Amino acid sequence: MHIPDAFIPFPQAIVYWVIALIFIALALRWARRSMGEERVPLVAVLAAGIFAIQALNIPIPWGTSGHMVGAALAAIVLGSPYAGVFVLTLVLLVQGFIFGDGGITVMGANIINMGVVGGFVGFYGYQAVSRLIGNMYVAAFVAGWASLFISAVLCAVELAIAGTFPLDLGLLFMGGYHAIIGVIEGGITAIALYLITSARPDILERPQGVTG
Amino acid sequence: MDRMTFIIAGIAVALIIAVAAPFLASGNPDGLESAFFSIYDAKSYTGDELDEEAAGAAEERVVEVTGNDFAYESPLPDYTVPGMDTLGEVLAVVIGTLLIFGIAFGISRISARPDK
Repeated sequence: MHIPDAFIPFPQAIVYWVIALIFIALALRWARRSMGEERVPLVAVLAAGIFAIQALNIPIPWGTSGHMVGAALAAIVLGSPYAGVFVLTLVLLVQGFIFGDGGITVMGANIINMGVVGGFVGFYGYQAVSRLIGNMYVAAFVAGWASLFISAVLCAVELAIAGTFPLDLGLLFMGGYHAIIGVIEGGITAIALYLITSARPDILERPQGVTG
Repeated sequence: MDRMTFIIAGIAVALIIAVAAPFLASGNPDGLESAFFSIYDAKSYTGDELDEEAAGAAEERVVEVTGNDFAYESPLPDYTVPGMDTLGEVLAVVIGTLLIFGIAFGISRISARPDK
């Protein structure tokens, strides 16, 4: 879902960068207040793992493929939507500048779609479903799916404003493909959460008081 | 699992995925590209076939639509090492994984709440 430079007019791209920078500043404030030094290696491992798994495009029907984004996982494991912003911003910077994956002028939009929406929908979706159902892995699956689907819907709206996609077709196509790709996001989020909590049961920032 | 083992296991898993990804990854367009090609008549919504010629034309047309012709030459374009084949792709993803580990370690180290 990495938007390339050509998809958004430059003035609009600047607006997205400004919004993204506000969330990056909030993410840095979160880190200063709430991300203890002992979490540094975990953040680095999560970022590396998310980068690697993003390179793994999984085929879906209709001649299309999709890959995990990972903001929901980072937000759930580190206990804040801003963790999703923090980790995805770093991943998108490396992808854009080193690998040409995602545009430079439009990177703000990509940070908003994947980092901010992914982090917030992932974190609050996980909280809500955890309370409702009481199973953290089901909650992680639902939160992962929703985070990807809503990112794609917002992306379609941005590209409609850009004049690149008509709104109706953009929503239909982006929504349709990412409803399927969301299953990949949800599935890997749940599996990764299971592996992480099995290896280190103490690692979740805020224990949910629910059982898996 | 103690903290150090967990970190090493985590890096190992990331590197295994990084090495495997170029062999396993699908070359199909991703969801956004597929939506783009469908809307710009290079592919049908549910079709498997991508019309390469129409896809190239679509990429030129979208620049005219948005007027954003910014171009950036990345050193490892699209997860490849220029001049190398699949081995270069493995190398590119492994370099990226180690680079992001280092950058994330450094940046989070600087931004984290200091332990008392």
